[in-house]
Amino acid sequence: MIVPTKKDHQSIAADLLNRAFDPEEATKILTEKVIQRPLFLCPTSPPPADARRARQLAAKRAKEQRRTKSLKPKPLSATQRKKQGLYKIPKEGQKYKLFEPLHNLWLGYIREILGNEVYTGGEAAAAKLASADFHGAGVEVVRSGCVSRVGIKGIVVKDGKFAFEIVTTKNKVKVVPKEGTIFRIEVPVPMITKTTETSEDKESEREEKKESKMVFELHGDQFQFRSADRATRKFRAHFSKTL
Amino acid sequence: MLSFQQPAFYQSSKCFVTHGVMGHVDPKQPPSKGKPWTTFAGQDFVYSADLILPEEVFKAVQAKLLEDEAIPEYKRVVMSLHDILSGDFFSNYIKAGSILMLSEGRRGIDNVFALRNGYLTMFLDKESYERAGLVGKPHGVKGNRGLKSRWFVEIDLNSSSMIKGKKGYDRLIYASKNAFSEPMTWLFCNVVSTVPDPDPLAAFSPTTCTSNPSITRDIGALVPSLTPPTGTAEHTARDELEDFSSEVYEWLSLVRLQSPRILANDQIDPYLSLYRVPEGSKPARVCKISWRGFLSPSWTRQAMIDLITALPSKTWFSFSTTIFTKGLAGDNTECTFLRPPNSSGEYLMWEVKSHE
Repeated sequence: MIVPTKKDHQSIAADLLNRAFDPEEATKILTEKVIQRPLFLCPTSPPPADARRARQLAAKRAKEQRRTKSLKPKPLSATQRKKQGLYKIPKEGQKYKLFEPLHNLWLGYIREILGNEVYTGGEAAAAKLASADFHGAGVEVVRSGCVSRVGIKGIVVKDGKFAFEIVTTKNKVKVVPKEGTIFRIEVPVPMITKTTETSEDKESEREEKKESKMVFELHGDQFQFRSADRATRKFRAHFSKTL
Repeated sequence: MLSFQQPAFYQSSKCFVTHGVMGHVDPKQPPSKGKPWTTFAGQDFVYSADLILPEEVFKAVQAKLLEDEAIPEYKRVVMSLHDILSGDFFSNYIKAGSILMLSEGRRGIDNVFALRNGYLTMFLDKESYERAGLVGKPHGVKGNRGLKSRWFVEIDLNSSSMIKGKKGYDRLIYASKNAFSEPMTWLFCNVVSTVPDPDPLAAFSPTTCTSNPSITRDIGALVPSLTPPTGTAEHTARDELEDFSSEVYEWLSLVRLQSPRILANDQIDPYLSLYRVPEGSKPARVCKISWRGFLSPSWTRQAMIDLITALPSKTWFSFSTTIFTKGLAGDNTECTFLRPPNSSGEYLMWEVKSHE
């Protein structure tokens, strides 16, 4: 067996180069391009010279990003929300008397925010009412472009952006769009009138409690905002084409 | 603020002339089919009726038409719509009787309510219609998408669904309580002669008005030849009828207006009036009887039947009825009937129809 000695040993590269080039050139290429070849530690650190390489890199980066983004949860679409039925009132829950305590709560809330303006009404009362919340209010549709809506009376169960959901005394939930409709709301207000009575012995003051109502009408056309958005909204008077 | 004006459009009244032959009139079976009778029955609320006769036959008519039973009477009452639609009034007069009622106002400006043959028709403006909640149709000028500002609602009160407890009736009552709650002045006419025993109308203290006929006798007028032209060539027949009918209609209208131009001794300066009675007019004496008030079409039909049976068949007479105006312009809608002399059953009828 012949073992190649060190002297005789030539690398494969040198051997191949000697076959193609003359000996001087072969050694030159060997030293420059093989033995002294620089090995880049970070191959892409100087940016790629040609456009094709740049485009390839950009496409790869975009693909990475899309993959990470699709892992984030997206909000539901309207159809999906409806399918979930979060805001649907179940059949057992569509009872008028279930919402009466809510209505009383709402009356107390309105009396509290209006304070003394329940008796006087006017601009200040209107401004406060415009930003009030109407869940649980007792409304009646008084005037509407769609005549079948007139006369619907009940308690507001949902105050959406474009419609009211009202539960009527006959235990039906009706969706009434706000557009082109005027709603009337009545707030019963206890009025205390003092009457003086003189008798022979003493003067006594008797307080009579009378029930009177504050009635106001709401123009649905101007009210098409969610109740959360209404709180900070400044309402300006707009001329209505339909009135 | 720019207000969008309603486009106004005016169409003049049209006059339709009919020349025909009536069948025999039997007073026991009042005719209801055929041209002169259907026109009279088609009028809704008659305001005035005029009758022009030759003076000689006045006595024949006097007994029949001027007796107490034939004098129409009507009542003026202040009620709200709710009173009409509920209680004894509704069950006695509307469900079981036949009445005519008309509320005060002009269609096109105010809210007008009319009750006829059991049909309640309401002419409303936009706000009242939207507050009432009853289904109706747009009324008035067509076009202007979305800006329909007047509506009319028609409801059949005689139908079986108009009872308390049914949805349609309840919606009507709701509307009468909320949208039309003020009392209005109405004209009331009972078409049939029977009055229900405790009269529901008495509770509203109506004022009774009788339309006594006003008689103008012995007018010495120039009466043209009232016989329609016959036996002419076909191509001129139409023109001749047109000329004849317009001349005779003009003459009849002047007699109704009691204009002095038709009098035999009238001498007016042609600068002031160019009217001349038609050629071939002879002096004769005529008389005119007119009734004003809230008359029903069945009264006019009965009057026509009485006239045809009471008068000798050779004489001429003219009977015309005018109804309450419907439109804003106050145009006339009327029907004039003429029976020419020496004809049996022949008649000439002018129907003036105003636009809405």
